[in-house]
Amino acid sequence: MTRLAVPLVLPVAVLLLWQITAARGWLSPQTLPAPALVLSTLIDLIRDGEIATNLQISLRRILVGLAIGTSLGLFAGALLGVSRRMNDYFGPIINALSQIPSLGWVPILILIFGLDETVKYLIIAKACFVPTVLATSQGIRNIPRAYIEVGQVLGLRRRTTLTKLIVPAALPTIFGGIRLALSNAWVALIVVEMLAATEGVGYMMVWGRTLFQVDIVIAGMIVIGVIGLAMDSGLARVERRMRRWEPKNV
Amino acid sequence: MITRQIFNRLALASAIVAFSGGALLAQDYPDKIRIGDVGFGFGTPFGRGITAIADAKGFIAAEFKDKPTKIEFTYFVNTGPAINEALANNQLDFASYGAVPNTIGRANGLQTRILSSYGSTTIFAGAKAGLPIHSVKDLKGKKIAVQKATIIHWSLINSLKQNGLTEKDVTLVDLKNADQLAAITAGSVDAIYGGSFFLPLKDKGILNVIYNTAKESPKATGFGAFVVADSFQQKYPDATQRVVRGIVKASEWLAKEENRGEAFEIWGRTGVPLAVLETEFDGVPLKEAFGPLIDDFFVSQYRDVIAFNKEQKLIRNDVDFNAWAEPKYVNAALKELKLENFWARRNADGISAKPSN
Repeated sequence: MTRLAVPLVLPVAVLLLWQITAARGWLSPQTLPAPALVLSTLIDLIRDGEIATNLQISLRRILVGLAIGTSLGLFAGALLGVSRRMNDYFGPIINALSQIPSLGWVPILILIFGLDETVKYLIIAKACFVPTVLATSQGIRNIPRAYIEVGQVLGLRRRTTLTKLIVPAALPTIFGGIRLALSNAWVALIVVEMLAATEGVGYMMVWGRTLFQVDIVIAGMIVIGVIGLAMDSGLARVERRMRRWEPKNV
Repeated sequence: MITRQIFNRLALASAIVAFSGGALLAQDYPDKIRIGDVGFGFGTPFGRGITAIADAKGFIAAEFKDKPTKIEFTYFVNTGPAINEALANNQLDFASYGAVPNTIGRANGLQTRILSSYGSTTIFAGAKAGLPIHSVKDLKGKKIAVQKATIIHWSLINSLKQNGLTEKDVTLVDLKNADQLAAITAGSVDAIYGGSFFLPLKDKGILNVIYNTAKESPKATGFGAFVVADSFQQKYPDATQRVVRGIVKASEWLAKEENRGEAFEIWGRTGVPLAVLETEFDGVPLKEAFGPLIDDFFVSQYRDVIAFNKEQKLIRNDVDFNAWAEPKYVNAALKELKLENFWARRNADGISAKPSN
């Protein structure tokens, strides 16, 4: 019971503060609408299908971007982690490219690809790629030397070494990277939808701002928060399941 | 003991001074007047209307030279929503911005009053070079980039209507200015509607200008208002009057043809090339473009924008223009400056009545 209640303490306090702020008029209603108004806007948006339509579009962008970004990231990260030479060749350039924030990519990508979904997928994929590469290569490189040596002493085949030793040992770090990728994907999604989209949850929020209806903006924030949390805990669950195979006490 | 007595007296004296001084200032004039305008350009943005002229030439500051009041100008890059937010957060006393966003602000409960017209902005349509689009009529079935919920969006819908088209005949893509340039260059859209910001693309051969409101349709020309926070106007009627007088003086200065070059130089601080300004105002007397009057034409255009906002579902509540406009300041300023007949009053269709004398 307490374990369920504890995470709710802060949100409830914030909600209370919000309600008091709105009721006392500390901020103008145009700046911070009352919780009740946001709730009724949220219900309206759900009822007329606006949230569902936009969320469907945004989720597709997230999933495609995440799939492309993380699979490329895993592949590249594995190469960089396993091979020192690959790391010497490609490490610095990947590092340099990853320093450019997603926002910086938008103008040039629009020039090349126009306004199609390609731009959104690429921006999100890039945002997912970076943490995945870093986490994967680091996860592999940080495997204690002793494990590998034990494998060698036991005369394990390359394949066995990879599936039974390297992957399980690097998995926690890699999963950390993928979870970070997911949260990066949301950031990139909102950026790209705010700049160059005409639909999606991010666009809905920009539109809410344009219409000076902050209730729509806050409703969008709530939707993103809830979906993001659900996806992250889904990933955490997958991670736990995969780590069940890990031998205990290693 | 003596020091303590002196200290007490000093404290009392300073309290009296502070109190009386503060009370005087609070009733008469604010310490600072904050004016916002739509900004353009990189680095420190600057404006390109009457307000920017009033700022650069110090017309408003001159009205307060016998007072301690400081005048502060802020230019919000390309954006009406940010001005609405600044007004809501009590960061601005006056603001000059487009009719669509300030109607949105008013409809959402922002307590502003319209003081004067901010003048007009020419709106252009450009079509991708090489496409068979030569006029607004040819836009049927095409993809058009425009920033929605702006005066340009309103102008676009108006121009379609005037050419027998409706919104359903075209596909609108909501993009900000810079993205519009990228989109038409990449060929993602067939045409764009906007202010003069895209004219440089014409010289690069990327697009052709197919429509110009100044030449073809004054009723689709962009416009907006200089507004004041209602609470400010109620608290400082005299200061409000002085600000409006400064604005009217700036308009009068702009109206003189000999100042045209200098005005372009001032607006050029936004980084807009001189050639673009010259094209934009080609054949447009600045006197006509930047009149401050709240006349029948201004009122009927505002009513049209309010109807547009409702039709496009940009606002949920209706806006009563009569309760919103407060023309007494601009009329008083015109009278004081003997400029009552300087600008011709236009009827609802935009036709100027002959000045009475």
